[in-house]
Parts: sequence; C-alpha cells; structure tokens
Amino acid sequence: MKTEILEKTSGIRHKTETSLYPRHQQLIMKGNYAAAEAAKLCRVGYVPAYPITPQTTIVERLSEMVATGEMDAKYTNMDSEHSAFAAAMGAALGGERVFTATAGQGLFYAHEVLHAIAHFRLPMVVANVGRPSIPWNIWSDQSDSLSQRDTGWVQFYGESSQEVLDTMIQAYLLAEQLNLPVMVVLDAFYQSHTSENVWVPDIDLVDEFLPAKVPGPMSIDLENPKAFGGLVPPEHYNKLNYTYWRDAIQVEEKAEQIAADFATKFGREYHNVEAINIGPKTKLVLVTVSSITSTARGVIKKYPDVGLLKIRLFKPFPKASVQEALKDLPKDAILAPVERNFLGDREGAIFQEMQRALYGMPIKMYDFYAGAGGKDVPPDTIEKIIHLARTNPKEVNWVDIA
Amino acid sequence: MKPANEFLIKEEQVFSGALSCRGCGWSLLVRHLASLLGPDTVYVLPASCFSIISGPYPLSELKANVVHTLFAAAPATATGVRAALDRQGKTKTHVVVLAGDGGTFDIGLQALSGAAARSENILYIVNNNGAYMNTGIQSSTATPYGAITTTNPGEGYKKSWPKDLMGIIAAHNLPYAATCSLAYMEDFRGKVMRARDTEGFRLLMIDGPCPPGHKTEPGDSISIARLAVDARLFPLYEIERQHYKMTYKPETFLPVTECLKHQGRFKHLFREENKVMLEDIQEHTDDNWNKLLALEKLAQVLA
Repeated sequence: MKTEILEKTSGIRHKTETSLYPRHQQLIMKGNYAAAEAAKLCRVGYVPAYPITPQTTIVERLSEMVATGEMDAKYTNMDSEHSAFAAAMGAALGGERVFTATAGQGLFYAHEVLHAIAHFRLPMVVANVGRPSIPWNIWSDQSDSLSQRDTGWVQFYGESSQEVLDTMIQAYLLAEQLNLPVMVVLDAFYQSHTSENVWVPDIDLVDEFLPAKVPGPMSIDLENPKAFGGLVPPEHYNKLNYTYWRDAIQVEEKAEQIAADFATKFGREYHNVEAINIGPKTKLVLVTVSSITSTARGVIKKYPDVGLLKIRLFKPFPKASVQEALKDLPKDAILAPVERNFLGDREGAIFQEMQRALYGMPIKMYDFYAGAGGKDVPPDTIEKIIHLARTNPKEVNWVDIA
Repeated sequence: MKPANEFLIKEEQVFSGALSCRGCGWSLLVRHLASLLGPDTVYVLPASCFSIISGPYPLSELKANVVHTLFAAAPATATGVRAALDRQGKTKTHVVVLAGDGGTFDIGLQALSGAAARSENILYIVNNNGAYMNTGIQSSTATPYGAITTTNPGEGYKKSWPKDLMGIIAAHNLPYAATCSLAYMEDFRGKVMRARDTEGFRLLMIDGPCPPGHKTEPGDSISIARLAVDARLFPLYEIERQHYKMTYKPETFLPVTECLKHQGRFKHLFREENKVMLEDIQEHTDDNWNKLLALEKLAQVLA
C-alpha cells in the first residue's frame, strides 16, 4: 500500500528493462521527478529545501525518498530560499554533496547567496525550474536563471526530462572537478510537470562515473582549522578572481569531455551545443535553449535550408563550440535566436551571448522574442519566425503579440 | 582565597592580536567562550564587528574553524555546517554563531527564528551593543530608547523601544536561553557551560560594551556593564522551555540614571526639558523587571 501511494505521488511507472541501454530502467516520469531521481543517483547527502511552484514536487519527492530510506540523506525544511541556499553553502563547506531546487522568485531571493557559493568555490548542483518575476506568473520563462548569469554559476539548460537527469549526473562531476556550482535549468510545466520516457541508470553505474565526494580545498577540516571568507584585501581579492576565471574558462572543454565520457558509459550523447542541419547550404539557423528546441526540431524537417543550434551549456557561454558548430555556414546565412526571456534590454539573452561569441564575424543575426511568461511557442510560431527572418526582419522582433 | 596565579582561562583558544576597539566586549567574550568550548568548534560569523575583530584574510583570531557568512544567513549557514558534521559522525563538534544585534534583531531574525524552530543543534551568541557599530553606530531595533546614533542624531534620538528578543526567542520553546554580562563573569561562564552542555538550539545574549558607540571611556566598560545589571536595565536570567529564572537580583534599588549618565549617547536626556524621557525609561525598566519577576513566578507555579 505504502509503495503504491508513493508511486502515485511520484508519478513513476515501472517498465521492463530492454537492451537499448543496459543497466537502465525505462520509466515514465515528469521532469521534476527526473531531477529528484538524479539527486538520489548522485548520492546527495544533504537537501535544504523551500517550496515554490513549479519546483515544489522536486523537493517533495526528495523528502519522500529520505523519509522512506530510499535515499540516504538529510533533508531540512528551511525558512526561505535565502536560508536554503545558505544551508547548502554551509553543508558544502562541511564537505557534503548537496542539492536543492528552486524557481523564479526563489532564485531571485537567493541571489546574494549564489554569489557567495560561487566565490567560495563550492561545488554543488541546483535545479531551477524557470519562471519569471512579479507580476505573478508561474509559467515557463528563463528570465530568472538568465538574470543570474553573472553570479559565477555554470548553467545548463535541459531539453527533456532525460537530459535533465543525465545533465545533473555530469554536472556533479564538473562541479567537483573545478570547484564550481552548477545550475541545471528546466522549463516550467512543459518539462517540470510533463511525463516523458526516461531511462534511469542503475545507481552502481552512476557510482562508476561519479566518484564519492571527497573534501575539497574549501572544506572544513577539524584537524587543521582555518577561517573561510574573512575580509579580503584588494590585491588578494583580485587574485581570487583571477583563479576563478582561470578555472571557469576550462568549463567549456571539461563539460564536453565529461559529456563524451558519459556517452561512453551510458550510451547517450550530449554536447555543449548541438548543430542540426547546419552546413554550406543552410540559409537560416534558429538558436534555441530548452524545450522550444524540440518544437523547432520538428518544424525544420519541412525546411531543408533551415538549421537549428541548440545551446545546452549557457554559462560560461561556449564560444568555441558555437563557432565550431557554425563554421560551414555560408556568409549570407541568417541567425535567429528564439528568446523566452526578457532582461530589460533591447535584445534577449541568447542574442547578446551569440553576438559576443561571433563578434567580428560576418553573420547576420535577428532576434525573436517569443514565449515569455509561458506563452506557448507552437510549430506555427516557429514557422512565423522562419518567414519573418527571411522576409523583412527588424533587428529585434516580437512575434505573436496579442 | 584562590592563589593569585589561578586564572579562569586554563588554555587560551585565541591568538593574541584581536582587532577590537579598546574596551570592546567582543574579545573578552570570545576569549572566555572559546576556552570553555575548546578547539572542536566551528564558528559561523555573519557581518558584525567580530567579523573584523577575528581577523581579515588570511588571519584568524580563533584556534578553530571560522566560517564568515552573509549578514542574514548565519543560522542557516550554521544549519548546513551542522548537517554536514552530523552526517560525518562529528556530532560532538560545537557549531556556534557569533552575531551582533543587527544580525540578530533585524536582518537575521527570520533565519534565527527558522533555526530555533527547527531545534537545530546550534549555540547562538548575540553580543548586543545596541547598534550597527561596525558600520559606524547606526540604529538597530536593539538600540535603547533615547539613545543617539548616527541615524538617530541630535533631536532625532531614538524614540521607540528595543525589541524583546529574549521574549521572541522564548516563544520558540528553546531548551536554553540566557542573558549574560561580562561584569558578572562567573554567571556568564556558568551559562556558557550550561548552554554548551545542552542539546538543541541555545541562545545567549551578552550586553556588549562599546566605547565608540556608547560614548564611554574604554576603562569604564566593565563598571558600566555592572551598573546596567544593577540598575535592572540589563537583567540576568535564564529561560528553559519558556520557564524564566532570574539568576541575579540586585539587593538595592539603583536608578537607571546612575548607569545612563556615564554614556554620551544619553547625555541629551539629562537636560531639564528631557526629564520626562528619563522618567519614561525608569518606568519602562521597572515594568520590564516586574514582568520578569512575574514570569519567574509563573514558571514556579507551573513547575
């Protein structure tokens, strides 16, 4: 009976193992449960949590797994996201592998702690289910995480529940190799509350890929006490930033290497960016993150000269990977970022980063705001963007404004 | 009679060279506290005078781990540290927050309430010097009625009463909370030991001398702290699961003016036109004292 109830609330339905991915089980689960499952598979030891829609079912599921003993971890209901992230910071200093999840206002509220975690050089992984700020809106939007671009966190955006689960496993390895925090972002409702097929690896397979957490340079050592984070004079502060920068610029290469190792071990391939139908005959390339990518994948099948560039690693922005993906494009090709964010600027976040990555290159780029606040971006909208980009686009365009 | 060379502190757990102002309470407080807690301790510090006193990078006054954290987040950070240590079986290691009144009464109150309500196994020390002294004497909600600060200057002196933090914290049903004065050292040390040996969330509030903030002579810090207790401005008591117990009752009545007159921050109250303010403070102080006696009586009735 108990198991039945758990299955009901967790939304997990067991299927049989097949030979497609050995040492995996194929389950049907929502994106939020995939994130919770990943935290368990990564043997997270501490989960400080605070509820916020549409993240809440992640921490609910984790609290269930801890309560039943399915997961060997400590779970704490905190008094705010500010406190939840601060507790995550404390436990990471204590040497534990930690996880929490948040969304929208929660991430905004935790802003100063995000800076502290990153600049303390504490490895951890956090799931953010993207939603915008007030006036109240709980639907899919990347303005929350994209506005935290400059806090020093690595950011991955997942296209599917499978990708969220797989990316979290890779993210812990990356975080602990470079002593950097990583945010894995999934779309509100389109991913968080939508059930999909997910191949869940056996935990011992994950163990072979992700070694047990060991104390890092910023771990409390009772035998060798020291002070962490006291007032740092200017010359030292500047050097700390240099060492941070030195390590952060390795993220692009490390992430690609970790994804390659993951593919060998688990059989599923990921890259920092994914180029679909991009070659010498491509005239237009849509640039997307998260679940809009899946819609665009379908649409471009009708358009042989339209390609798609999916950005999976967003921060630090994978400049070399983007340039490599676009290297065969003809000079008169057009790039069309599809933005599900608004950061108060003329151009959206993807456009800004793409311009930075391609500065000095003769590629035309037109920006397309679509889908903020969870507004649906169906195939029709993608087709509108394609047509507009080819006919008479402005530099910045808003599509489907009611 | 103890021999003259028998010191209270048997083994120093701090290095020399604390960066406090002359007459500051923090260094004396932490010296005694650390010697009673020992080296198996992790201190968590929000922004406060003590985050500077304990040493800028790469220095540290304490012979133990120190985590400097965000102003609003010390009890939450300590919660995470505690969780990690417990996971690793280090349940005997003390986790101690050292905070000022701003970080406790104001910006840190939510996190404090959260940690207290969760019964986190943390010792919380608040050195209450009655203002944001580290940033230059700005008013906090712990600043006494009538005091002048840089944000309640001149005739704009503070005209609201400080929060009853102990009342707020008592409402969390803590296993142990107490007020302490550095002028009553045996009482203070006894309370530290009691707090140390109690499990759960514990809080000690210490009256913090601050010569630059209170406009006092550094050499008078301890005698003014003693006057604060004797004039019942800073009563000494313990709270165990909402049961109050006075730990010191002055035998004779001492008017509040005997303590306030030594502090420049109250100087304006002694002008003839402000006489009523002093009467207000005396009345409020008497009310508070009587309330505490009544709470103590209530605890005896319930016991």
